[in-house]
Amino acid sequence: MANNSSIMYGEDLDQVPLLDNEEPLDFGEEDLPKGRLKHPVVTTFHLLFRTAALVVYEFCGIFSSSFIGPFIFIVVLLSLDFWTVKNITGRLMVGLRWWNYIDDEGQSHWVFEAKKGGLQGRVTKMEVRIFWVALVAFPVLWSIILLIAVVFSRFQWAIIVVIALTLTGSNLYGYVRCKLGKSDSISQSFKNMAAGLVQRQMVSNVTSMFTRAPPTATPSSTV
Amino acid sequence: MRDLRAVGTKFYHVLYPKEKKALLKEWDLWGPLILCTFIAMMVQGTQEVDKQDGGPEFAQVFVIVWLGAAVVTMNTKLLGGTISFFQSVCVLGYCLLPSCLSLILCRLILIAHQNRILFLLRFIVTCIGFAWATFAAMVFLGDSQPSSRKSLAVYPIFLFYFIISWLIISHSNV
Repeated sequence: MANNSSIMYGEDLDQVPLLDNEEPLDFGEEDLPKGRLKHPVVTTFHLLFRTAALVVYEFCGIFSSSFIGPFIFIVVLLSLDFWTVKNITGRLMVGLRWWNYIDDEGQSHWVFEAKKGGLQGRVTKMEVRIFWVALVAFPVLWSIILLIAVVFSRFQWAIIVVIALTLTGSNLYGYVRCKLGKSDSISQSFKNMAAGLVQRQMVSNVTSMFTRAPPTATPSSTV
Repeated sequence: MRDLRAVGTKFYHVLYPKEKKALLKEWDLWGPLILCTFIAMMVQGTQEVDKQDGGPEFAQVFVIVWLGAAVVTMNTKLLGGTISFFQSVCVLGYCLLPSCLSLILCRLILIAHQNRILFLLRFIVTCIGFAWATFAAMVFLGDSQPSSRKSLAVYPIFLFYFIISWLIISHSNV
């Protein structure tokens, strides 16, 4: 069977490492306080639906004994979250996007793009951090909840968790593919990331050795 | 919004399956999700005192629809189909629309006091929905199969919509 799908990466590829706290601030950003968000509404919505879905799942048992109402509510929240993260927050907060299209011959193409040129002026480190933390944390949380649901034999609720995992996991997978770009396989990129982390740690150790203030001579007074 | 309009267009093309591109070229899974949720809500079973609120049947419909679509898709691909996984699931999900409409009609018929004639009416309505759904799915998926294998590909689709229609016809409490 011929392989009839292809995967493309955007031409303007930016190999930005996953934890990018080394970018210098650009013109117009020097006066921005470090914790400031460029798109506060977008960030709120990025977090809002995911958190709401999780909270409703955990606490709906307290308020009602029904299954169907919370099921639909949670699925609606998860769908809204999926759509928002895929179409809006990824594009605005980190400049990444991914989609699939079928060309005229019926071939399916997956496209993963990372914005290169406009990246510096449009994103802030805080937003990038929030984006990735939320993107990674929720599939992990849902996996743990799935284990709990299976262990306690709450199989109906496990269906909700499976749906949640599918939706949040697919966004995570898509954005990680965008980030990793075309040449690296996933394991290779993790190795690069780990090496980068080790390097950064070593550099910060060395610099702190040189910049540490001399120890004060005054003894601390104890009562 | 763009996505809502896309979903609406696809619903229209399922009802009048002349042009194939709309469903195949730009697939999305919102329509199947909406239809599946709607069907699951409508075919709930009896409210027994010691059970939870119709839970098992609701979740069963979800499992049947999504697992069933996945299995039918795998079958189509294994038979040598040139369609992608998501396209096929999209088509199968959207073609639930005729069954959904027959469910609404059955629900309306159930308002009246039941007798043989009304059951026959419901049966006919469900059959029409089932045949329409299978026909629409074959129109969309037919080209991707080599012609010698077409009937092999029809059978799982037939079975899939048969089970859904069975769920619809056997729902008879108000």
